[in-house]
Amino acid sequence: MTGIKQVRLSGFGGQGVVLAGLLLGQAGVFDGKYISGSNSYGAQARGSGCKSEVIFSDGPVDFPHLTTADILVAMSQGAYDLYCQDVKKESGLILYDQGFVTPREDLRVKHLAIPATDVSIKRLKNKQAANIVFLGALIEVTHIVSPKAIRKAILVHVGERFQSLNLKALRVGMELGRKMDG
Amino acid sequence: MTRALEKYIRPGVKSTPFCPGCGHGILMGLILRAIDDLKMEMKKMLFVSGIGCAAWIPSPHYNGDTLHTLHGRAIAFATGAKLYNPDLCVMVVSGDGDLSSIGGNHLIHAARRNIDLKVICANNMIYGMTGGQVASTTPKGSRTSTTGEGNPYRPFDLCKLVEGAGATYVARFSVTQPILLIQSIKKAILHKGFSFIDVLSPCPTQYGRRNRLDRPDEMMKDLIRRCILEEEIEGLTEEERAEKIITGEFLS
Amino acid sequence: MPSKWVKTPFPKGRYYFSGNEAAAEGAIAAGCRFYAGYPITPSSELMERMAVRLQEVGGVFIQMEDEIASISAVIGASWAGAKAMTATSGPGFSLMQESIGYAAFTETPCVIIDVQRAGPCTGQATKVGSGDIMQAKWGSHGDYQVIALSPWSSQEMYDLTLRAFNLSETYRVPTMVMADEAIGHLRETIQIPSRVEIFDRMKRKGRAPFDSEEEDGVPPMPSFGEGERLAVTGSTHDGFGFRKTDDPQVHARLVSRINKKILNHRRTIIETEDYLIEDAEIALITYGFTARTSLYVVKRLRKEDWKIGMLRLKTLWPFPDEAVAQLGKRVRKILVPEMNLGQVAGEVRKYVPCDVHSLTQTNGEVIRPDVLIETLRRM
Ligand SMILES: Cc1ncc(C[n+]2csc(CCOP(=O)(O)OP(=O)(O)O)c2C)c(N)n1
Ligand SMILES: [Mg+2]
Repeated sequence: MTGIKQVRLSGFGGQGVVLAGLLLGQAGVFDGKYISGSNSYGAQARGSGCKSEVIFSDGPVDFPHLTTADILVAMSQGAYDLYCQDVKKESGLILYDQGFVTPREDLRVKHLAIPATDVSIKRLKNKQAANIVFLGALIEVTHIVSPKAIRKAILVHVGERFQSLNLKALRVGMELGRKMDG
Repeated sequence: MTRALEKYIRPGVKSTPFCPGCGHGILMGLILRAIDDLKMEMKKMLFVSGIGCAAWIPSPHYNGDTLHTLHGRAIAFATGAKLYNPDLCVMVVSGDGDLSSIGGNHLIHAARRNIDLKVICANNMIYGMTGGQVASTTPKGSRTSTTGEGNPYRPFDLCKLVEGAGATYVARFSVTQPILLIQSIKKAILHKGFSFIDVLSPCPTQYGRRNRLDRPDEMMKDLIRRCILEEEIEGLTEEERAEKIITGEFLS
Repeated sequence: MPSKWVKTPFPKGRYYFSGNEAAAEGAIAAGCRFYAGYPITPSSELMERMAVRLQEVGGVFIQMEDEIASISAVIGASWAGAKAMTATSGPGFSLMQESIGYAAFTETPCVIIDVQRAGPCTGQATKVGSGDIMQAKWGSHGDYQVIALSPWSSQEMYDLTLRAFNLSETYRVPTMVMADEAIGHLRETIQIPSRVEIFDRMKRKGRAPFDSEEEDGVPPMPSFGEGERLAVTGSTHDGFGFRKTDDPQVHARLVSRINKKILNHRRTIIETEDYLIEDAEIALITYGFTARTSLYVVKRLRKEDWKIGMLRLKTLWPFPDEAVAQLGKRVRKILVPEMNLGQVAGEVRKYVPCDVHSLTQTNGEVIRPDVLIETLRRM
């Protein structure tokens, strides 16, 4: 099963986790990947715990749901606590919302602190853009999809009114990601 | 039925299935007279019915397209056909039980949409086909095979019901008022929008014999006596009014 | 049966569609131009997309007052000449059953997509299940046949919905796509081709629309308004639609034909796929979302040198009896994993001499690989 990457985005309802997953999967399709995506649905998607999972593969995906995450994005403490153990040891990666999530120290998984909510309030004047800031950071750090593809995905799936905000959030997120790399 | 109307009858049909004294057979002829008066093209007419004696009025007797559906669902089937092919003149002919009880929800929703269907309810105030059980149109106090002591509940006033729901042509006539009824059917056919005619049709077999009107002619005479036009109400005492059935065009 | 290749109305390419969206697109490509439905989780997105797409392609969309009205309007539209469909989930599927029987008996083409959720009753509305498989076949009263297909991917929601229309038109039979919540909501890369092959119902002026010289024949089907003076009825009828409710021969002949016209064409209707069964000693028989879990598990266990393979049922009804029987002769054990209490396992047992095990799961969740592996190890 080489060539498969499993990404789980998580947070609470209203943080835009489902949209972020949709954009990520769509970008993967634009990049020519086989994608299987699923997300919380119904009351879940609105309520407390919300997740969106995207499987990236070079060929058809057999089991289309996530088995163990290669990458976890945790936008809330609840989501972090629920999913942090489900990330591949050693090779896995967790991105968490700095200032809102306190990571555990006993996990043998690389952690990156991304101040996504903070930055979206301060620089974008809109807390709702934290999901896209995370996407930007994620893409910059992992290169899981191309920047061109994610921009195109935003243009396809985000209403005109919010496109420029989202594109800006993406840029800001990528800057954060670059700092992490360096 | 006169020979002149034979061309509206599907070749191969030899007789009608109705009991002696049943009003449905009269209605069957009156609808065709209206169609004949208007020179409607039978090729473009679709007759939809549910299940019950009344549903046999068009099916298979009329020589247009006939769609004999399930109990209560005629209007839903008709809605699909009309929406997909608006060139069809779609007439629903079915019973009171069929249209207003099991199919009551479809009736009010079609009226709400004001979809161009001509709905003719052959109202014998009873479930005729299944042996004379109480219907949502049975008058209070009437005896039926399931209300031996008399129906404890009020009936629907179907005209008020569909009018309230949004129908745009609404009338009530009895088969004992043939001229007025033919006029009304013609208006319904020409009307664009949801048209509804509540047609009183005697059922001596199931209704009459339980309510001291056993002989076919007695039921007819009873309807003739009780059906009055709106404008004739004036001057009647409360008591006289109570037993009358008000007929006429209520909305056109 | 006449077929033609037509350009797809949606631009060729790779898309990221949910199963529900893909099914709507497959329907439009098949020529569906009428949809009537009633909202129900987890099928509603399909209806919402049809509302938009039918307007774009000049079809008719209507949200009806309930599911009985929806399927009834679909049948009415089908006789008016439309390729017509509805979609629903368990509770709505239950309400539709009387009309589905009507469609079967009057030989009305129509497509019903059931995005199954966890039943019985209202059950878990947003959760997955696969408990309507028997209902698809036996839900209405009397002896009749339907065709039911089982997609395992977003791509197949497109492909099999298209095929459902083709089969429905060819055999004049209600055809069901038995999807489930997990497939309906799964977003995947799907390929929309530039052209698809579609089948239209056969028309022959003056010919009996309800009888055929062959005992398993499919009669031609005219539409309302064409001057054929159709008489359509759900009562027993002769070739021209005259009620024959007292004639034992007419009834027997009609019931027999509407069954044989499907069963005798099983070979062309049924599709199955097998994976790694050449040397297999254990086989999974599987369908729908669970087939994805199964393939994953088969490949995993092959790496551990298990002699294991699987047969996937793309068609559920008519039941793929031959493929199942053949498999049953080759392997020692069969396991049928499903999100119900063994509906297909019971069917499999009718056709095979070997051991048939059943993995049943009715907790509103998909069967995950570890659960399936665990079951296989214990067997
Ligand atoms: C679902 C269903 N329930 C019950 C019946 C039985 N049934 C057949 S006709 C009928 C009553 C018909 O009464 P109405 O519509 O008033 O017609 P009438 O016979 O009085 O003209 C009933 C209850 C049926 N055919 N289908
Ligand atoms: Mg009646």
